[in-house]
Amino acid sequence: MIELFLSQLLNGLVIGSVYALIALGFSLVFGVANLINFAQGALLMLGAFFAFTLIQWGLPIVVAGLLSVLATAAVGMLVERLALRPLRNAPAIAPLLSTLAIAVIADAGAELIWSAESQPFPSPLQSFVVFVGGAFLTGVDIATFIVSLAVMGGLMIFLSRSWTGRALRATAQDPEAAAQMGIDVALMRQIAFGLAGALGALAGILVAMYYQSVFPQMGVPFGIKGFAAALLGGLASIPGAVLGGFLLGIFENLASGYVGEGSRDLIAYSLLILVLMVRPQGLLGTGKLEALGGVGGASGAIPTTSIIASLGGATARTRNWVLRPKLWMMLAAIALAAVLPWLGSAYIVQVAAGCAVFAMLALSLTLLSGSAGIISIGHAALFGFGAYLCAILGRNHGWPVEGILAAAAFGTALMAAVATLPAIRLTGHAVALATLAVGQVGYLLFLNWIELTRGPMGIAGISRGTLLGIPMQPLDRQYWLALLLLAVCYVIAHRLLESPIGRSWRAIREDRPAAHAAGVPVRRYLVLAAATSGLIAGLAGAQFAWLQAFVSPDSFVLETSIVLISMVVLGGMGNIAGAVIAGVLLAILPEALRAFDDWRMIVYGLILLALLRFRPQGLGGVR
Amino acid sequence: MSAALTQALAAHRHPGALVLEGVTRRFGGLVATNEVTFTVPGGELLAIVGPNGAGKSTLVQLITGFVRPDAGRIRLGPHDLTRLPPERISALGVARSFQTSRVFPGLTVLESVLVGTQVQLIGGGRLPRAFNTLAETASVLFGLPAYAARRRLLEDRAEATLKLFGDRLWPRRDAPAFSLSYANRRRLEIARALVAEPDLLLLDEPTAGMNPTETGELADLIAQLHADRPALTIVMIEHKLQVVRQLASRVIVMNHGSVLVDATPEEALADPRVVTAYLGRAETSHAHG
Repeated sequence: MIELFLSQLLNGLVIGSVYALIALGFSLVFGVANLINFAQGALLMLGAFFAFTLIQWGLPIVVAGLLSVLATAAVGMLVERLALRPLRNAPAIAPLLSTLAIAVIADAGAELIWSAESQPFPSPLQSFVVFVGGAFLTGVDIATFIVSLAVMGGLMIFLSRSWTGRALRATAQDPEAAAQMGIDVALMRQIAFGLAGALGALAGILVAMYYQSVFPQMGVPFGIKGFAAALLGGLASIPGAVLGGFLLGIFENLASGYVGEGSRDLIAYSLLILVLMVRPQGLLGTGKLEALGGVGGASGAIPTTSIIASLGGATARTRNWVLRPKLWMMLAAIALAAVLPWLGSAYIVQVAAGCAVFAMLALSLTLLSGSAGIISIGHAALFGFGAYLCAILGRNHGWPVEGILAAAAFGTALMAAVATLPAIRLTGHAVALATLAVGQVGYLLFLNWIELTRGPMGIAGISRGTLLGIPMQPLDRQYWLALLLLAVCYVIAHRLLESPIGRSWRAIREDRPAAHAAGVPVRRYLVLAAATSGLIAGLAGAQFAWLQAFVSPDSFVLETSIVLISMVVLGGMGNIAGAVIAGVLLAILPEALRAFDDWRMIVYGLILLALLRFRPQGLGGVR
Repeated sequence: MSAALTQALAAHRHPGALVLEGVTRRFGGLVATNEVTFTVPGGELLAIVGPNGAGKSTLVQLITGFVRPDAGRIRLGPHDLTRLPPERISALGVARSFQTSRVFPGLTVLESVLVGTQVQLIGGGRLPRAFNTLAETASVLFGLPAYAARRRLLEDRAEATLKLFGDRLWPRRDAPAFSLSYANRRRLEIARALVAEPDLLLLDEPTAGMNPTETGELADLIAQLHADRPALTIVMIEHKLQVVRQLASRVIVMNHGSVLVDATPEEALADPRVVTAYLGRAETSHAHG
């Protein structure tokens, strides 16, 4: 008994030291650039692959590791060049989404270069074993622990003793004052990203040695866990990052030892959500909630909490023209799309039905993220919730179509309201993180709750049933149902947005403290925004399940959420007509790119990156 | 209908004194307000002055619930505000402006003011709850008449409130708030506060950044408000002593988080302790002596 505890504790310390390294990378960048760097996981993965390739070329592991750390540091600086520097005057959310786009491109690029499969990573010290009481440590464990501690110590000394380290900390505390003291703030940001890259690469190599494998998807879970560790300790606090890393490692290992290995990630993400709800400033953090949201400072800028407003006060730039068609025009366009089945091509109808589903999803997300300002990177989980409800209620319990539609709509609305609660007290970047964690929890439940969801196998043979006595088996009827649901959802979204409810959503987005001061019941309206968004997403999910006649966790991964947020940005945040158009465009895109399917996510990433750089207001303009 | 809502408001409002009892708030080692105790009778216009860092803005943050006191109580008439969140305090009739003038940059001028009517639209606070979440959603989706009538009424009130500021705001009602000048943003904030028909109005440096003409204009507006709404209690933080002399019937001078002087404007501004608080002469000599 005590052996299990001791061995999980030691394992926790080892993996925790790796989490601490990743967390330090996050904290450095967040401190200096006030940005949650979603590309941190990708840097970790790239670092591991660089070392992997160099070892394959015959270099000794230490040399390969050092070269990989240097190369990844350079990539980190490149991230700053692409994601942060050109976007100084772009909307506050743009740098965050840019790092997300870079992460997507890096992951898909790694699949192209190194293959999507897991590959063995050499781990020369693995056979060396030391017994500590009843538990044992391998050479890799010891090396990991020592290297991590040495790097952390070195970093602490660098930050407290060297001129550059002090300049970094000064920039983190007050960039404007630092600039006036002659510190090159832009250079400091670049150094922070470079350090984050180096730390990420080191963590990646240690992780690869620890698990003796490398694979392109390794970045996401370790990125999120590093982030959870940073947040647990207090985002901008360097000692906090170290403490958070160790705590998360120990906690997670104890959980996997006592509850079961499958619960490891679930526990880590749940812990992240819990910290965000209970103590968003972290254990050692002193910063107020505002510090997470990037509330514009003094210096003459108009105060705002809006993720859409620009940092440099050039708000006008993102708001010159706004697409706001009359309701009947959009309904007429949807009605016009109903003639497609008479073209006689089942392929076209299938694609068009998919477009309708994604238009609904984009509509749903633009209400929550665009209008109400709750940026969500976990929306695929709500989509999946609706789809699984449809599959399970229809296939296992024989529910009629009418009942399934009601359950998918209101069940997902309720789920959305509950799932958004952790994010409601938060602002800005922390919201993105909370929704990301919630989305991952959803995905892990789809994957691991095998009795209910059949796990990775998915649920096949979903019957389309009859709606009001009409058999819904033919594809054309499914398509018309999808269009009808899209039209209904559009009317709902339109009416709400043009009412005092929509005005309250936008007021909360624009300036939350002012909304509180004006007496707007903020929680009520954010819960309503989430519920409305969930209602539409649930209907889209049910429609998706009928169209595919099959659901599996693969449809509701993080990438789906990223595609959805790309649609919202492309359409213009909070612009429902724009969202519908963007949803259709980005849903057609994979069909157009069918020959280059491996490149699909890269293209999405590049579109998102280019949009944020050159047209942050999207096609339709921000509403 | 308009009369009905006004009557409902009148029936449920209990304009009373603002009472602070031993209100203390520390930020780390700094005592921002130290056992502040004073009472503002309903309808009074009180000015709070004091050097930077005296705790004036913290006091406004405390009364409006943005900062919670470590000790002490804050009451408005029959309501205990001490532990309430900002929106509940606002719904009880406390309206405020911010030192940094917080408007909703992406909303139009008219929309920004209408945000201040939301409580009266759905009820709550001083008014009985009229529309819960579901009722409001259903009213919007199906265009139900009760909600629509109330909405129109409040739109009329927003128009009247914007017109209080002459041609400064009303002609710009459809312009986004971020396009306003600095002075107009301050006016817009005050309009948003006024449209809520508050019992207590807290103004944090309302004339900051305004030129003498604009300052005079705003001071006249506040004087007019004070005359037109005798039950409205106004507490303003103000650095311009000329404005204080023109408007306030009473002045509280704060220094280092404590009330230094509480008197009429003439007495307070002539008090030697106030002069030293601003110039810090006695303190320095004391410290060196």
